[in-house]
Amino acid sequence: MMMTCVRASLLIAATFALLPAAASAADIAAGQAKVKEVCQACHGLDGNSQSPDYPKLGGQYPDYLAKALRDYKSGARKNPIMAGFAGTLSAKDIENVAAYYASQPAVLAKKY
Amino acid sequence: MIRYCAVLALPLMFSAVVAAQTPAPAGDAAKGEEKTRMCEGCHGIEGWRTAFPEVYHVPKLGGQHAAYIVQALHEYKNGDRSHPSMRAIAASLTDQDIANLAAYFSQGGPKTQTAAK
Repeated sequence: MMMTCVRASLLIAATFALLPAAASAADIAAGQAKVKEVCQACHGLDGNSQSPDYPKLGGQYPDYLAKALRDYKSGARKNPIMAGFAGTLSAKDIENVAAYYASQPAVLAKKY
Repeated sequence: MIRYCAVLALPLMFSAVVAAQTPAPAGDAAKGEEKTRMCEGCHGIEGWRTAFPEVYHVPKLGGQHAAYIVQALHEYKNGDRSHPSMRAIAASLTDQDIANLAAYFSQGGPKTQTAAK
């Protein structure tokens, strides 16, 4: 009885320990769907934009991409084009889009 | 009155046109490399994170479009982007320094380095 109780407690504790990770895990497929709608025209589907006007995003760090999108959305980073697009993205969309572009083949160097 | 305004506006219009036509300085990657000592403490370390005011990876710059790097540095310099370290560093750069750094980074950074595949 005691062992069952300990085991059950451990199971419950483990479930709760895993919850935050599960809640924040980005959905790369959903990110790609959003990229096709919102980002692809300028940044390209793989994020390696051919136009010098738009930065390359493929293989960039996902937390940096998400931070940039949050700042465009809040207005902390001022860019009239990106403010419009980032404004349409939810917090979840931002995580997904950032994870998708980060997962793409990088033309950006690992450092510098 | 209208004619007076038009006369007043003319030189202003002309100076605006001249300003718009002033070409951005061409970047010299070799000179840009000389300035990268300010950059390498963060951007030169693979996987480095900035700790203030938020924790996130400092962006990869090697292979980025030069025009974007120029724009980003100008935005830090004029306050449109707010990262404290980057604002201080960008404020110390001339337009020519910015063009040189952009040329250097857009060509992929150090010559021995190849882009991550």
